[in-house]
Amino acid sequence: MGEVTEGDNGKVNGGGGGGGGGEGEVRVLVVDDSAVDRRIVEGLLKRSGTMFEVIAVDSGKKAMEILGLNEGKAESPTVNDKKIDIILTDYCMPEMTGYDLLKAVKEQSCPKSIPVVIMSSENEPQRINRCRAIGADDFILKPLQTKDVQKLRSYATSMALASKAGTKRKMPLDLMASSWAAFWLDSARRFSFYCVIFLCWCALILYERSLNGNL
Amino acid sequence: MAPTALQEKLNGLVNSMFAEGLLDEQFQQLQMLQDGSNPGFVAEVVTLFCEDSERILAELTKLMDQAVVDYSKVDAYVHQLKGSSSSVGAQNVKLACIQFRQFCEDNNKEGCMRALNVVKHEYYHLRSKFETMLHLENRIQAYETKQQS
Repeated sequence: MGEVTEGDNGKVNGGGGGGGGGEGEVRVLVVDDSAVDRRIVEGLLKRSGTMFEVIAVDSGKKAMEILGLNEGKAESPTVNDKKIDIILTDYCMPEMTGYDLLKAVKEQSCPKSIPVVIMSSENEPQRINRCRAIGADDFILKPLQTKDVQKLRSYATSMALASKAGTKRKMPLDLMASSWAAFWLDSARRFSFYCVIFLCWCALILYERSLNGNL
Repeated sequence: MAPTALQEKLNGLVNSMFAEGLLDEQFQQLQMLQDGSNPGFVAEVVTLFCEDSERILAELTKLMDQAVVDYSKVDAYVHQLKGSSSSVGAQNVKLACIQFRQFCEDNNKEGCMRALNVVKHEYYHLRSKFETMLHLENRIQAYETKQQS
C-alpha cells in the first residue's frame, strides 16, 4: 500500500505548447500516492493550457523535500532554482496525509506561504472544514475533471500574478482578466449568500416580534 | 483490415463498454485529454490502472487468506482500488468496491470473500476489453505512422 515507484518521483513536465520556463508559467507540485491519479492530474493540467509546469511526487515526505521543509529548514521552496507556485495534494495518503502536509506548509516561516489545494474522493464536510480551518485554499472532489483544473487555473493565475507583481514578467491580458473575473464572481457569490442569510434572520426577528405584539 | 474499419470496430467496442456499465463518463474525460501532443494518454492511464489493480488484488487475496482478517488493512486497499477505478471511469469495478467496503465495515468475512470475487470478476472482464481496445488503437496508430513516413 502506497508503495514508492521510483521512476515517477519528482518528474517534471513542461506545460503543453508554451515550452518550459516560459513567461507566466505556474509550477504545480502534485502530491498523490496513486500513480493513476498523478498521471490523470498531470494530463488535465497539461491539457488545460500552456501555463502549468507539473512536478509530481508520491508522498508528503517527498513533497516536503521538494519544498525544503524538512528538518526545520525555512528556505524558499524551489525545484531547479524555480519557486513552487501551488500545491495540489491528495488528502488520504499513508504516513503523511494531505492534512499534515497542508499544516506543515502553512506553518512555514517564509513570508508568503504557497496556496494548497486538497483533493479527496470523500465529500465529508468535517474534513473540508478541518482543512479550510488551517488554511487550505480550496478543496476539490475526486475524480478530477477539466472544470476543476480550469478553476485551479484561474486561482493559480491570481496567485502567480500576486507573487510576480513588481517584476518584469508580463501576464497575457486575457489570463489577468479571467483571474479577476473569477475573483469578483466568487466574491459576488459569497456576498449574495451572506445577504440571504441576513434577510432570513431579519424575517425571523420580525416574525417573533409580531407574535409577541399579538399576545 | 482498413483503418476506417478498425476505427469503427474500436468505437463499437468502447460504446458497448459504456452501454454495459463497464465505463462511465469519467472515461470520456480521459479520452478528451488524448490528442496529437499526447497520443498515448489513454493507453498509459489504462496500463497504470491495470498494474495498480493487480497489485491491490494480490494484496487483498493474501489478507483474506489469513485466519484472522485485518479489516482495516483490507478496507484501505479497497479504498485505493475504488479511488483509481473511479478516476479511470471503471464503473462496475468502482461499484463492486463500494459493496466490498460495506462488508469490511461489518467485519463480515464471508461477505468480503464474495465481494472480492465480484471485484476480481469485474476487473478481469474490464481488463480483457481494455486489451482489445489498446490492441486496436495500436494497429490504427501503426497504420497512421506508416502513412506519414
